[in-house]
Amino acid sequence: MSDKKIMLMAHLMRRAGFGASKDELIEISKRSYEEQVDLILDSEPNYEVSKHLMHRYQPDYGSPMGISSNGASWLYKMIWSDSPFKEKIALFWHGIFATGYAKLANGIVLHDQIKMFSKLGLGNYRNLLIELSKDPAMIIWLDNCESRKGAINENYGRELLELFSMGTGNYTEKDIKEAARAFTGWTIANKEYMTEKSQRDSVWPYGRLAMHFEYKEEDHDNDEKIFLGEKGNFNGEDIIDIICKQKATSRFIARHMYSFFVEDEPPVPEWPYKEPNNPEAIDALSEVYFNSGYDIKEMLRFLFKSDFFKTEKVWNKRVKSPIELVAGTLRLTKEFYRPEKFQSATNSQTSFMGQHAMNPPSVEGWHWGTEWLDSGTVVERVNFSSSKLGNTNNSGIRKIIDNVRANTKEIYSPEILINLLLEQLGEIIVSKNTKEILIDFAESRLNDKELLTDENLSELLKLVGAMPEYQRA
Amino acid sequence: MTTNFDLKSEKTMGLAAMQGRGFYYPFDLALDSNERIYVLGRGHDYDTRGVRITVMDMNEEYYGTFASYGQGDGQFMWPSSIAISDSDKIYVSDEYSHKISIMTLEGEFISSFGQLGNEDGQFDGPNGLIFDNKNQLYVVDHRNGRIQVFDESGNFIRKFSSQGNNEGQLNLPWGITYTSDDRLYVSDWGNHRIQEFSTDGEFIRSFGSKGEEEQNILHPSSCAVDDLGNIYVCDWGNHKLKVFDKEGNFLCSNRGEGSLSKWAQDFLDTNVQEKEARLKADLVFELESFKDDPFTESSHIEKLFWCPTSISFHNDNLLIVDSSRHRIQVFNTVQKL
Repeated sequence: MSDKKIMLMAHLMRRAGFGASKDELIEISKRSYEEQVDLILDSEPNYEVSKHLMHRYQPDYGSPMGISSNGASWLYKMIWSDSPFKEKIALFWHGIFATGYAKLANGIVLHDQIKMFSKLGLGNYRNLLIELSKDPAMIIWLDNCESRKGAINENYGRELLELFSMGTGNYTEKDIKEAARAFTGWTIANKEYMTEKSQRDSVWPYGRLAMHFEYKEEDHDNDEKIFLGEKGNFNGEDIIDIICKQKATSRFIARHMYSFFVEDEPPVPEWPYKEPNNPEAIDALSEVYFNSGYDIKEMLRFLFKSDFFKTEKVWNKRVKSPIELVAGTLRLTKEFYRPEKFQSATNSQTSFMGQHAMNPPSVEGWHWGTEWLDSGTVVERVNFSSSKLGNTNNSGIRKIIDNVRANTKEIYSPEILINLLLEQLGEIIVSKNTKEILIDFAESRLNDKELLTDENLSELLKLVGAMPEYQRA
Repeated sequence: MTTNFDLKSEKTMGLAAMQGRGFYYPFDLALDSNERIYVLGRGHDYDTRGVRITVMDMNEEYYGTFASYGQGDGQFMWPSSIAISDSDKIYVSDEYSHKISIMTLEGEFISSFGQLGNEDGQFDGPNGLIFDNKNQLYVVDHRNGRIQVFDESGNFIRKFSSQGNNEGQLNLPWGITYTSDDRLYVSDWGNHRIQEFSTDGEFIRSFGSKGEEEQNILHPSSCAVDDLGNIYVCDWGNHKLKVFDKEGNFLCSNRGEGSLSKWAQDFLDTNVQEKEARLKADLVFELESFKDDPFTESSHIEKLFWCPTSISFHNDNLLIVDSSRHRIQVFNTVQKL
């Protein structure tokens, strides 16, 4: 049996990353759990080599003309980063600040937005909201470049309050309008040309152009505003300052964190009507939010070290999003040990499972949890997991097979085999029923260690990939 | 060290286009005996129409396209380099299917050679191609870290170099060029240097060191050499054209001066709304995020090089394939008074 520390580390790596193999877990477990949490939160990744390698073979990965190469290059980082948490946090914010390609027709600005999430996503929430408000992709996506002094477009003001900070029920329609007034003048440089290119989906004459924020003082409504009960000649930063000090904001962000890292909550539209799964955890996270000065990293440090995160009750319960499933599987199989042609096609699998990166169904993003699962997506997920785990040519799978064989030389039984395999795949926890099914299979095909052939182990690995537990983190 | 030397932008050719007149992530070009230019499009995995050869001339006259994506005869998956023999046959390397295809100037497939492996005549990602004055073809065998030499029919003749970072060894080499004094210059992409060899494979020298400063090189993709021995390097990772003298001393660099090509102007003239919006735009500016990040700067500033992949001389002109901007920037050299 695996020891509890390794199993706890496996839980941490599934949530604060995309999972880890047994070999990796043994290395990680040389540190204390607290040290590992700190390392995850405080270490800086080094993408330099992989970035150049990606662009060398896939020139569109850094200069995308369309949308999909963004997802493929991001997936590559998730697979190969020595600090995958940076990508996980970007995925977290992408789910909340969901921005889509359809209106932008420019992959570069979305590429830059994800880079911003990765860079600032563990910092101060106020700074993140300010950068989000200046982000060209967001400015076009929610029409803030069309919001003029005297003729506001309230789209960004509305979503800033409803989806990005406080949640419905905590502000009025008047507050939305006042926020929109405060953000007038927050636009993109060369707005006419950039929006013309976006609307026409123009790659001419020389490809897409990155965009940058521009503040137009002459288009800013500098008159007095009343927002959430406060009065002043507010600009966008002032609105964000007021938002950040709201209790509702702290709880909204805390609930998002809890849902993403601890256990699935209902979809966001249901939050006004449904209590959190763990109100005490939300309260505690909310307190850290204020005590740390809105510091996301400190909230997560608290979360990962808390009992509500470490408890076995939440292990292996969260449904993996398609991106988490694909990235986690590819980190295990290590099939893309260098930039490969078909990693682009592999990235497309996440779309078939219902999550096309940078192309959310709406500004609300995706509904997580069991809503990832329907009769169509489950088939895609199982087919993907099974085919990848069952491919014994992949170096990661070969290593797992070698480890299994090495550890069954002395003593062997189908049950020992199953336990070993589940450990090797990252300490997957399965139900009694699932384990019986796996053992039944092993007894029928692998009843003797002499039968540990690649072919038989491949079949068993395919079965593991089809287990409901493999779909959860 | 020479100081009276500079580069002058002559013009820009081409247009981003998924199909037809234009390029989509062009990687390389070659000229035939009639001075027609064959531009090799790499395309990308989500739009394979970009995999093609576009034929044009220095006046941007367009003569059509041929070749397509695939693994059949005359098709490419990850085309990397193009060369044309004395007898006007086109050679294209494909670093995915590990073969060199031979075609007529009209795009008719003749034959191919090569397969994955590390034996003689096998490749692991064939890249740069160049013919010498004996019509021998030098193939950069990218992941095998070596150069293989073939006759015009694709028969193996010899090989030299090996994978590594010592003198004369190569790490993921990309482009190769040949000079009239029978020398070969290989862009040693993974080792951030240019290496010079004799055509027999004897190592002569190398220069370049990893970095972002003027005298450094970051992942060179290609180089060309003039009659004086000055070496013009596509500094792919720094997104610059750099010139070094024959001793390897830095002379000058250029960050790119792309302008509207004839095809680009045609596009804007027929899309007036976009043209008018463009005329009002300020396309050159400074941002804090550009500091130490030329990649980001190139994504914003259209005129700059963005991942230049190939450089070659045509008469007195330097033709630089500006891959991520889907065009060719044309320069020539000037002596300062």
